[in-house]
Amino acid sequence: MNIPHRLIAVAAALLSWLPLSAQDTVGVWGMLKDSLVLESATVSAKTKAQRLREGTFAVSAINISQQAATLQSLSRAVDRTSGIRIREEGGVGSDFDLTINGLSGNSIRYFIDGMPLDAKGSGLTLANLPVNLIERVDIYKGVIPASLGSDALGGAINIITKREKNNYLDFSYGLGSFHTHKVDLSASVTGRRSGLIFKPVISVGYAKNDYIMHDVKVRNAEHTAFILTDLPRFHDAYLSHFAQMEIGVADRKWADALFVAASFSKTDKEIQTGATQSHVIGMAERKTNSFSVSARYEKQDLIVEGLRASLSASHTWDHSQTIDTTYRRYYWDGTYIDGSYSEIRRRGKTLRHYYRPMTIVRGNLGYRIASGHELSLNYQLNSIGNRQEDDVDTDFVPGNDRLAKHVLCLSYDQSLLDGRMDNTFFVKDYINHLEVGQSELPGTTGSSKVEPTSTRSYLGGGLGSRYTFSQRISVKGSFEHSVRLPVSREVLGNGATVYPNLALEPEISNNVNLGLFGTFDLGDGHAISYEGGGFIRLVDNYIQATMSETDGMMQYVNVAAVHVMGVEAEVRYDWAGRLHAAVNASYDDSRDRRKYTQSGDISVTYLNRTPNRPWTWCNAEVSYTFNNVIIPGSRLRLMMDHQWVHWFYLTWEAYGYPGSKSRVPTQNITGASLLYSWHGSRYNISLECSNLFDTLAFDNYMLQKPGRAFYLKFRLFL
Amino acid sequence: MKSLKKFLFVLTVALVSMVSMAVSCEKPEPEPDPIVVKDYNFDLYVCAVKHGGMSQNKNGTYVRSVTDLSAEAPMIDFTGKGIDITQDYTLESITKGAYYYQVPQKATGGFVKFHIERNAAGIEFIVEDAEVPFKDNVYSARKYTHAWIDGGKTLVVIGTKDKATKIIWSKLNESDMQIQSEGTFDIAMPEGFNAFSTTGLLTYRQSDGKLYYFYLVKPASGQSEAATSVTYIAIINPATMAIESTTAVPTDIMEETAGSAYGELMQSMIMYDEQDNLYVAGLKTVDGKEMGILRRIKKGEKTFDSAWNGFPDPEGKLLTIQYLGGGKALCYSRDEALGTKIDSKSHFYSIIDLASCTRERVKYNGADLPYCGGRFSQRSVVVNGKAYIGIGGEVEEAGVEQPNPAIYIYDCKTGAVEKGAELSKGFCFDIIRAMDVLE
Repeated sequence: MNIPHRLIAVAAALLSWLPLSAQDTVGVWGMLKDSLVLESATVSAKTKAQRLREGTFAVSAINISQQAATLQSLSRAVDRTSGIRIREEGGVGSDFDLTINGLSGNSIRYFIDGMPLDAKGSGLTLANLPVNLIERVDIYKGVIPASLGSDALGGAINIITKREKNNYLDFSYGLGSFHTHKVDLSASVTGRRSGLIFKPVISVGYAKNDYIMHDVKVRNAEHTAFILTDLPRFHDAYLSHFAQMEIGVADRKWADALFVAASFSKTDKEIQTGATQSHVIGMAERKTNSFSVSARYEKQDLIVEGLRASLSASHTWDHSQTIDTTYRRYYWDGTYIDGSYSEIRRRGKTLRHYYRPMTIVRGNLGYRIASGHELSLNYQLNSIGNRQEDDVDTDFVPGNDRLAKHVLCLSYDQSLLDGRMDNTFFVKDYINHLEVGQSELPGTTGSSKVEPTSTRSYLGGGLGSRYTFSQRISVKGSFEHSVRLPVSREVLGNGATVYPNLALEPEISNNVNLGLFGTFDLGDGHAISYEGGGFIRLVDNYIQATMSETDGMMQYVNVAAVHVMGVEAEVRYDWAGRLHAAVNASYDDSRDRRKYTQSGDISVTYLNRTPNRPWTWCNAEVSYTFNNVIIPGSRLRLMMDHQWVHWFYLTWEAYGYPGSKSRVPTQNITGASLLYSWHGSRYNISLECSNLFDTLAFDNYMLQKPGRAFYLKFRLFL
Repeated sequence: MKSLKKFLFVLTVALVSMVSMAVSCEKPEPEPDPIVVKDYNFDLYVCAVKHGGMSQNKNGTYVRSVTDLSAEAPMIDFTGKGIDITQDYTLESITKGAYYYQVPQKATGGFVKFHIERNAAGIEFIVEDAEVPFKDNVYSARKYTHAWIDGGKTLVVIGTKDKATKIIWSKLNESDMQIQSEGTFDIAMPEGFNAFSTTGLLTYRQSDGKLYYFYLVKPASGQSEAATSVTYIAIINPATMAIESTTAVPTDIMEETAGSAYGELMQSMIMYDEQDNLYVAGLKTVDGKEMGILRRIKKGEKTFDSAWNGFPDPEGKLLTIQYLGGGKALCYSRDEALGTKIDSKSHFYSIIDLASCTRERVKYNGADLPYCGGRFSQRSVVVNGKAYIGIGGEVEEAGVEQPNPAIYIYDCKTGAVEKGAELSKGFCFDIIRAMDVLE
């Protein structure tokens, strides 16, 4: 492949625009270094980016390895991507909900190297995965590639870990406001004689999350009235541990890679609030412990030339506890009175154990029929149990449920017209198997409405296509008729704040994406690239979280039909790899399509905008890099970013006087950071300030997020 | 370069359009209704998608305060009008005069008192008059029963705690909601039973100056089969809150009172006639089905009159009762044969003749008022000699124009029924309250 140096430099500079980047796999420093030193390496790296960008699917990729020096968590990087919105309930370790092109949280599937992220334990999320471990994050919007073998409806996030073959050690320590500390270590060591590769990962994070809550109500000294005051959170500490050891071999005749791994994760989380901050909790906690073992095998040209195999399997022992054993009623100053009901469930005391063993098997066989034509078969089994016990609630009847999902996918990929056109066709079969053992609260959980054992099958499929007219303009489109089987949290609850709904039906959706992208080389190191697109999601049996007014508990229910459509656009500018600016905007339009109420009347919410979800937001970012500051070869990058989210109503927008309606206010959050790196990026130190102007920020109704916070991080990469 | 500029221009316009579209999507405020000043207003509550009441609705609860429910009144619309109380307040509430009193949904940990006002443009809004923290006893939204004593100056609230194994009470000043006193009743749990009803029903009887507290004992908390419960009547001295007597009600008289889990915060289950006879709506199992029953405690008596049943041959559960005067009562009940779901259109209004214990469906122009959805609804209110009865929308049929939900006005003296105001379609119509207007 003959790529002019200038084009390489421009592409590298553009693609290196990291935090907002949509299609980048290589950071600016790494790319520039590669392009100047070793062209072949540049070509290889660029190809990764191009594969995603010029693929048939709507996909964004974020380079994490180049941000590891500054990044606190993956979720922060993902949140800046166009079409993506992450709603956090609080500070570090808080629950969050991720939306891709209008479809939220559980419509999105998370993977790590193609395996469901759940395999590492239920406590591990985008928010606490060790950043050092990650190479990049691929975000698939709407249509999911067959290789992931997934039943995702709204999209998928595939976290790609480092596959570096050289020995390395990557260590970082960060500390920040609200008593936040994080230590990450990852390494790869190859035995000289045995050739065995050892890949240890250790990560520990802690945050007290004692940020100030503004205008919260507490009792006056006489306890005769409420007064408004500002107070720190007092029961929101979060501690997470993750350790993993992967051992294996690579580049053998019989295996390109064969690894076995064992990992352990543990999270302890104090719970501070219910669904809103007026429900103060001071004793309840949630804990998870997970241990998993896994193996993966990869081989190109297996038995016959052109046949490639990728096989993985894992088993996870996952134990979570919800400790809700007090009848106290807390106020924000930490005082309490003895109440009548438990803190989370607002019922009797519980110390509930959830044992959720999970087995995942994934097999992918691909066969290259001819140059540019490949057939692949993917199978994934995801089986999860849900055994419940309670140490305190004597009325609780222990249950043991099992949910098994099989997804079989056949796909055909073709590349035509000398690579100017790519097409993908695929069909998927989704099989859901449910065994119900629990019988608690049958009216709420639906346990009395479902068969003790049931198996159901659903068919889906789709296609994608991309055509490149020139470097400046390419178009792509994709379609999928997808089925999203409910995840365990939706069907079986989470043991703390989510009730089970055993009668939940799968979501079925027709997803359409259309996109346009390209790059303009303006000369003299100036370059602009753009990407824009539209999407439509026509969802039936949409699974929506609802909140019980009685006890503040959540439950997932089927909503007859939800149609989401929207547009997003992103423009990036770069000058000589030093000055970067970017802006993206996203607009989602989600409407209720339930025409009739349960009693047969035409519903007033028909065609109304779906409440309690953001529908317009923008991100902007600018950075400048200085070279050779103080130390020769060093780099200093200064960066500012801004996020704007339009306010939205908590309930249906059409009804009630607007001034009387609860709403989640507009967010204007500005951040700033600097990164100083020297000795070939071996040493890095960064300082970040989030929410620079200390504005009151809410992603959810009456759940205040942290104010201004500082974070200092030191990273060593050997 | 020229094409690039053109392209950038188009892209910029697109981005700016998106943002401006986002910020300019607020609709113009609707025209306010004309203001008519009267002594009392009607507060009408509707819910979206499903009927509200007892936490059944999570889709939006809206209230409008209107001065007129006659046929001449403008259509009562909720598009851009009314107060959205979904997140902050429960539609279940204690009311007296112009004020609401409740443990609110917003869960701050106390009692609130508020009223609804209208500004010069006729837009309703809520004014909070008092918010008082719990002291020792803690109550949950919707889970308490109440009575007024001391000529309406003191509010008595009763609830339960510790999985409904203890019954707690609190007295509050009406004016500022300050807690006067609190306590826990010393009521022994009968053998074989493990829980009390969540709230029971509390009422103050003028003629003997006593509080009557109707509570259930159940095999377990949350147990919902009436046949397994026993109803008790506790007579309480309102000054000392001492229990003077407790009497078990024979199950052939009544198995459960209505509203044992949420008091009369929404639905009226207790009424008095001119003689101060006390009437209580209840349940009794007949052929395996829980059916309504209406029992009476005569003035001077302390237990139910076993020979009297004001709701014989029931079609289903008796849900609300309201005294109309002249020995007649308005009742809202359900025909089990037409559906037992909360939203089933199986609920209807009747007039009970308490003397003859007969009843007849409320008619307009010779036809029965239609069946309605809403198990937990109180769409009727009696004020100034008239009963205002709300009828919800009817089942939609393809191609058939359905009438709007409407108010029917029953004249308590003549028995005449006229049609009143209409509501916009599509909402689940749940409550009418008559509220005094503050001077």
